[in-house]
Amino acid sequence: MRQHRLHPPAPTPPNAEGRFTGSALLRSVVVTGALTAMLCSGCGSWSWGRRSAGPAGLGASNRQDPALSGDGRLLASVVERGGRDTLLLQEQPSGRELPLRHLRRFQPHRSPSLSWNGRYVAVLIQQGNRRLAVIEDRVNGNLLRFPLPGDQEVERLSLAPSGRRLALEVVHNGIYRVQVFDLANQLEPDLPAGMLSGGSATPKAAGR
Amino acid sequence: MAIAPPGLARWARRLGAHRRDTPPLLKRTLKSAPFLPRRPLLARPLAVLAPLLLSGCTGTLPVPMGGLDRRLEAIGSSHAPALSDRWLALIGGRGGREQVVLVDLERQMPVPLPGLNRPDAQPLAVAVDASGERLAVVRQLEGRTELVLYRRSLMALEPVAMEPPGVPRRISLRADGRELAVEVSRGGVWQVDLIQLP
Repeated sequence: MRQHRLHPPAPTPPNAEGRFTGSALLRSVVVTGALTAMLCSGCGSWSWGRRSAGPAGLGASNRQDPALSGDGRLLASVVERGGRDTLLLQEQPSGRELPLRHLRRFQPHRSPSLSWNGRYVAVLIQQGNRRLAVIEDRVNGNLLRFPLPGDQEVERLSLAPSGRRLALEVVHNGIYRVQVFDLANQLEPDLPAGMLSGGSATPKAAGR
Repeated sequence: MAIAPPGLARWARRLGAHRRDTPPLLKRTLKSAPFLPRRPLLARPLAVLAPLLLSGCTGTLPVPMGGLDRRLEAIGSSHAPALSDRWLALIGGRGGREQVVLVDLERQMPVPLPGLNRPDAQPLAVAVDASGERLAVVRQLEGRTELVLYRRSLMALEPVAMEPPGVPRRISLRADGRELAVEVSRGGVWQVDLIQLP
């Protein structure tokens, strides 16, 4: 991980006579120049700690469609595996791949989205000639499907961190529309650790 | 609401009450398939059960949230949704002029985003944190694709540089808004960067 931090330069000490020597002056110029360069590199934009998400596995070169879980512990992305766009779920920062029960097929996968602790993995799959939004529950292994009427096609999705709502980008007669669906009756909430809902969900158990 | 393919429900109905209308191909199939029910007495329950049985295979047909759906329709065309629990960020507009819209789902109303949208910028992707305070936006401006971070309380917009240089496309914000996952194109390869935000 590359970190960009600015440290103030140490004051250049004057010599015994209270005047700068040649080497002290040179050091001062170098330090000031370096500081100016660092400041200018950040001009107009922030320069924060950043890193690559790391290797995406054997044979995978492209990695697309990133989605962080609400707590940031998991990263979902789409990588090429065997020539097919496949969902990859990894722990961060270790990069350890986590298994998915249903989402090893139905490629290509697109537009993944994760709940708070990563209990729910929502993604678009291909089933026959239809694209379908599905949600895999990693705790009980269920797969929830969201078929749309035949004249509508889903393009992207986003799952609320709690798992209570799902937004779909749907195209119908060439017009793109976002629709939001209430999942409160279909999914237990996946909440931050320590937050209990009115239901029976225990967030600490989720996503483990 | 459960649904079943109309063809199969029709098939089950035909099998029972309308045997005389059974197509010749289906008649031949029925003769060669002794395991299939032949009597209307057995077939009628099948006609009733078929949609229920099939609902387990096909899932449920979701129904959009009514009031919100009408609000979103008023925006015009909309795409690239990003949900946090209370907030829905999307790109929407009419007549080819698109902008970032943030909808408060509790009040089912868009909230103002002063300083974020500008007429000469085309937003491409958006992400929002759980509090609705931070929005990350990929947009095209003056022929360049850039990533910016908007803080609603400050009404301030800051560019986020791609290092090494690359073209950002899709983004995802951690719920607390302190980490950003960015899909970046570098040299024809798509990569994912994770950026810590202060």
